[in-house]
Amino acid sequence: MDRPWLRVQEAVSQALIFFTYAALAAWMRFGKRYRVEDLQRVRGEFMALAGRERGPLLICANHLTLIDSLVLQWALAPGWRVAGRRRLFAWNLPDHRNLASRWWWRVIGYLGKCIPVVRNGTPEQAREMIDKVAWLLARDQSVVIFPEGGRSRIGRVDRDRVTYGVGRILQAAPGTAVLCVFLRGRGQKVHSDYPAIGETIVVRQKRITPVTAAEGMRGARDLAMQIVGCLSEMEDRFFDDAGVDR
Amino acid sequence: MDSAAAFEKVTAIIKPFVKNAEAFKAATPATRIIEDLGVNSARLVDIILAFEDEFGIAVDDESADKVRTLGDAVQMILQKTAAAS
Repeated sequence: MDRPWLRVQEAVSQALIFFTYAALAAWMRFGKRYRVEDLQRVRGEFMALAGRERGPLLICANHLTLIDSLVLQWALAPGWRVAGRRRLFAWNLPDHRNLASRWWWRVIGYLGKCIPVVRNGTPEQAREMIDKVAWLLARDQSVVIFPEGGRSRIGRVDRDRVTYGVGRILQAAPGTAVLCVFLRGRGQKVHSDYPAIGETIVVRQKRITPVTAAEGMRGARDLAMQIVGCLSEMEDRFFDDAGVDR
Repeated sequence: MDSAAAFEKVTAIIKPFVKNAEAFKAATPATRIIEDLGVNSARLVDIILAFEDEFGIAVDDESADKVRTLGDAVQMILQKTAAAS
């Protein structure tokens, strides 16, 4: 099934990418004074791990603040690269309530390649979301997804809240590259709407290939748990490096 | 297996995922798993897979999507175990 409205959204957002990305970067750097630790290394690593090749890409990240997907976009690729290769400007799947309250949020979401989703929705809504993402991936796009389904309420990667939608997406779009990304502000203790002003954000990446012999829901769970397991290991390493007790 | 035995096993499987203990104590076949018992919808998959393991059945996505109440779960299990025997 073709999805002309997503094609239109992609064309509009790509046409305005210089404006959108510049506004995003300015807000991050000067408005919030955020800093990504070792930004050039992070961007180089992203290009080496997944950015240069063609093909579908699923970016799976842990989730502690409302703007994690914005931070990711800013951290992984500079504006000039994103303008040149639309695959580097990833689609996002925010909760529809996060965009519904203000008209300008809806505009920003549209330009930011957001597809609002209904969390804990009906099976039909879940299937429609998976179909949309699979359609995007079949067109060699990249999509950011948070396997925990929402911001972690325990301040760490929360295996108990994992939804298996990410596994169903991989089943629907075989051959998709999976990049696990762990991001966290140095001062971030628990979940919040935004990282603190002036926060230094650590970004780490690992490319994995989840596999399972199981099919259906069991297979989806296997795939999802491998991704969350990877994020959890990256988090453990982060805390080990920081010398913090787990 | 009769429906009372299936109901007992279903509630035993669901119990660890229940957030509303009061509603669980008064559970009937009409009790809704997500809305009434407070089970996280993401955990429904774990529950369905536990049904598969416990009853030796295979549950497809379409059947799983129709399970909203404890009674739905019992009916689905009875149908599938009957079909398998």
